Amino acid sequence: MTGLLAKAGLQMVLLLLVAPLLSGIIKTLKARLQTRRGPGILQSYRDIFKLFHKGMVIPDTASWIFSTTPYIVFVTAALVGLMIPMTTTDAPLSLFGGVLAVVYLLALGRFFLALGGLDAGSSFGGLGSSREMTISAIAEPAMMLAIFTVALAASSTNLSEMAKVAVSQSWKFLAPSQMLAFAALFIVLIAETGRIPVDNPATHLELTMIHEAMILEYSGPYLALIEWGASIKQLVLMTLLVNTFFPFGLSSDWTARGLGLGLIFYLTKIFLLAGLVILVETTNAKLRLFRVPELLMVSFIFGALALISTFLF
Amino acid sequence: MTFFQDPEFGDRIITLMAALVLVLQIAAVGQRWLASSIRIFAVQSFLLAAIAGVIAYFNHASHIYVVAFLTLLLKAVLLPWLLEGLVERIGIRREIEPLINAPLSILIAGCLTLVGYVVAESFYHPEEASVRAALGHNTLAVAIALFLIGFFTMLNRRKALSQVLGLLSLENGLFLAAISLTYGMPLIVELGIFFDVLVAVMVLGILVFRIREAFDSMDVSKLRKLRE
Repeated sequence: MTGLLAKAGLQMVLLLLVAPLLSGIIKTLKARLQTRRGPGILQSYRDIFKLFHKGMVIPDTASWIFSTTPYIVFVTAALVGLMIPMTTTDAPLSLFGGVLAVVYLLALGRFFLALGGLDAGSSFGGLGSSREMTISAIAEPAMMLAIFTVALAASSTNLSEMAKVAVSQSWKFLAPSQMLAFAALFIVLIAETGRIPVDNPATHLELTMIHEAMILEYSGPYLALIEWGASIKQLVLMTLLVNTFFPFGLSSDWTARGLGLGLIFYLTKIFLLAGLVILVETTNAKLRLFRVPELLMVSFIFGALALISTFLF
Repeated sequence: MTFFQDPEFGDRIITLMAALVLVLQIAAVGQRWLASSIRIFAVQSFLLAAIAGVIAYFNHASHIYVVAFLTLLLKAVLLPWLLEGLVERIGIRREIEPLINAPLSILIAGCLTLVGYVVAESFYHPEEASVRAALGHNTLAVAIALFLIGFFTMLNRRKALSQVLGLLSLENGLFLAAISLTYGMPLIVELGIFFDVLVAVMVLGILVFRIREAFDSMDVSKLRKLRE
């Protein structure tokens, strides 16, 4: 029991610390790629720290939903983080059907964020919520299809089991269905983390904003929790992507040496994936809102083909 | 580095690259910019050349190296360069709305891929299960899907240049089918096909330019005005 707690604590600390760092690195590298100076890597930590020490403005119309939403967003993201193998194949919270729990915990966070946007009573919040729901209605099935493809290949819905099977097969795990599932999940990652072809995280332009519109009324510690939760969610989705499709270097136990090596491999993989995301963000223009379903449709088709081709091969 | 000799590794790599070709093809169906479509075609051809190279390496068939090199030179460098030049010259960079809208086109492309798999299934005989048979089966499905989606692109797009691109990806499908089933046709046949494609693209390029000159548009549906 204490072992389990220690594992959970260790992974939680890792999650909470790496997530803002990743956001910071993405921001800085993106700025450099666009020949701007950009903020320092540690800016996300400073932002969160600053926000926790600020006062809050709460709209008159807001009910209890407004004030519980930040906690729910943060807790669901962190819980999902405990279910996913990060540096070892053995996640602290490994459940039967963990894949489903991951998808639905993320959906729960998103649902409450949309409610929070509506609850604040400003028209922008409602706008953002409706856009977010439109997008997630297609992104969610695509994500499920892609994850189920991997689950089928490993014949388990437990994420730890899936990682173990993937590690034991090494390069033999690379099959066309995995390739298609990776493509589908990558598009979902872009959509879920609000990155450029879908949403622009760096702007408050009312015509296009989605995520920013929902959290427009939040300030102070609540905003800090939501921002932190969003960066954890981003890290979790990227972890899911790298550790299920490229399981190299995942250690199989919780020894110090295994953890250290696993951590190095893990960070390298995550930052490579972040590089890919930055490239996509820099080389693409933001899509018109009505074109976004087309992009997600591509991801849905990839997911469906991936699932079907598992049975055909 | 023992797995460089392992034929199963080669088989995996080939199937993976074939799947990547398929992913690119489906992505191209939803693509509106002509320059991006041309680049997708170039990457696809590069992957095909790589597949040919891997097949040559694992089957010790030196004449396929020549085919791989020719594919690289012609389809991944020369044809995209010619086509991009053409796009520059006629100054039209975007495809207008295709006959069937993008989400539905992508859905149709997905269905065509399934048709490809179903058709390839009938060529598959598990009783002869060797690595070679499995390789033929997997890549054949992708090849048929490429062929069908290329054909669909030709029907769906209105700009003459997009239709040329459809024809080229159709030809890529044929190439993949030939190389995965027979491990390369005789060199003379391959050379014939390459020059055929090159000449076809050149002629079509001139044709596209002339259509543009005469009608101020690449929209082939405007050619009907000749009848009236």
